[in-house]
Amino acid sequence: MRATVWSGRNSVQVENVPDPRILNDRDAIVKITSTAICGSDLHLYDGYIPTMKRGDVLGHEFMGEVVEVGKGVGNLRVGDRVVVPFPIACGDCWQCKHERYSACENSNPNAGLAEKLFGHPTCGIFGYSHLTGGYAGGQAEYARVPFADVGPIKIEDDLTDEQVLFLSDILPTGYFGADLCDIKGGECIAVFGAGPVGQFAIASAVMLGAERVIAIDAYQYRLDMALNKAGATDAINFDEDPDIVEQLKLLTGGRGPDAVIDAVGMEATHGHGALHTMERVKQATRQETERGHALRDAILACRPGGIVSVIGVYGGLMDKFPAGALMNKALQLRAGQAPVQKYLRPLYERIRDGDIDPSFVVTHRLPLDTAPDGYETFKHKQDECVKVVLKP
Amino acid sequence: MPFPPRPVDATLHGVVDYTAGAFHLTVFPKLAGIEGTRSARQIRTAAAIHAGYSTLTDYPLGIVKLLPYQAHLAIDAVGAVALAALPFITGQYKKGPREWVPNVGVGLFELMSLSISDPTGRGDYHGNVDKVRSANMEDPHRKIYDGGPAVRSAARGAPA
Repeated sequence: MRATVWSGRNSVQVENVPDPRILNDRDAIVKITSTAICGSDLHLYDGYIPTMKRGDVLGHEFMGEVVEVGKGVGNLRVGDRVVVPFPIACGDCWQCKHERYSACENSNPNAGLAEKLFGHPTCGIFGYSHLTGGYAGGQAEYARVPFADVGPIKIEDDLTDEQVLFLSDILPTGYFGADLCDIKGGECIAVFGAGPVGQFAIASAVMLGAERVIAIDAYQYRLDMALNKAGATDAINFDEDPDIVEQLKLLTGGRGPDAVIDAVGMEATHGHGALHTMERVKQATRQETERGHALRDAILACRPGGIVSVIGVYGGLMDKFPAGALMNKALQLRAGQAPVQKYLRPLYERIRDGDIDPSFVVTHRLPLDTAPDGYETFKHKQDECVKVVLKP
Repeated sequence: MPFPPRPVDATLHGVVDYTAGAFHLTVFPKLAGIEGTRSARQIRTAAAIHAGYSTLTDYPLGIVKLLPYQAHLAIDAVGAVALAALPFITGQYKKGPREWVPNVGVGLFELMSLSISDPTGRGDYHGNVDKVRSANMEDPHRKIYDGGPAVRSAARGAPA
């Protein structure tokens, strides 16, 4: 089959690789109809997530048709149309029983490796380094889905692929980020990053009842999408004024947003000053893994007693973490890889009910063979790119 | 990948600019045993100038992005040749190898670094945007600017 494989820093290729096959009774094989390039795939592409190997199949956002099931998969049949969540979860461990599927204790065969870096292992993830299990990803014609009796959700109506594909990751991730903010109605929420996850964090905050949602990014076309499509009420373009903290205070009467969502993660780009230069050098020379501008500013901007919700991906260690501001402002710091399985059914219902049409983020629908150019276009924000969907 | 391979993108070139600049400006003359020579002064001056125009270059590690990246590379090339040639122009090479070998070595290092740097004006972008545009089944501009909100607001009534 054809698959997008990692071939080194800033390099992916579409190659012929062996077809997947059933290895376990709880496996299913899915013929992929749509798959997407995620912002967190760029961390692999840029070489900042360790334990990638040449030839690893990328991709953790995919959907398709079930073509084979193991004997232990009772809920799926050949021919079912499914969306596959990115966290691989067993459904039986303590974490899964508590709906913390992204912390599954059984799905990462390289748990020891993750434990060394994070203290505890995380779940397995499709196409996301050997730190998360080394599973082949879904930017391919077929994928093996472990624990297929727990993860995939059946799509039983005529919604298009682009309307349901993002149930696999970025819609639940954005929703999780907003859910962590305890929105009860009337709040002001600031969202750092108007990429695909940021767009869905904004849209989710709007769906949950936030009165005011402020989008923050350096690309005007992404801010325009946030304002026109995702429901943001205000936008801050930090390419025009890099002092985001001050701008957020100006927009909120000096108090700061009730909650701030970091939908940026480890490769924040804002700031043109000496600190940014130093961080670029330190990250490029692997003296730190994170460029922490977004999280730092999120903590500094959030009102005292507020919530900082972190859904942008971080992989290791950050310098100059504002622990003093976090503690003295009595902030709550909440974070995580989204427990996608928990949100699949409610979000699917919201899509069916017309609360949201997630296809609004798709700016590029490309054949799988153009994946290398798709990665470059997405990474460098060329051609008004927000989200790339690949068609195998 | 072009041939000869040019794996050094603008970001990595910037990293080398700053780290090599700092190295040559500070400890290199002592490590090379040329402290106090004209060669050491020339290398320090060249390193300071190099670091200076690096901060003004329009690449990811530039601070005030005034100088195009390609102009930066051209200055690198001229500077490397000038540094290597200087001992022979001034005649200091007659005082022995300590007065010319470091200049030539640093100049060659610079030229080697240049030879593997991607000189395109596209910065780090290595994709083919025309190919993407022709293959794209969507119209990005229309997706962003046409039509109404895609989400229903709980606070503000439907639609958002």
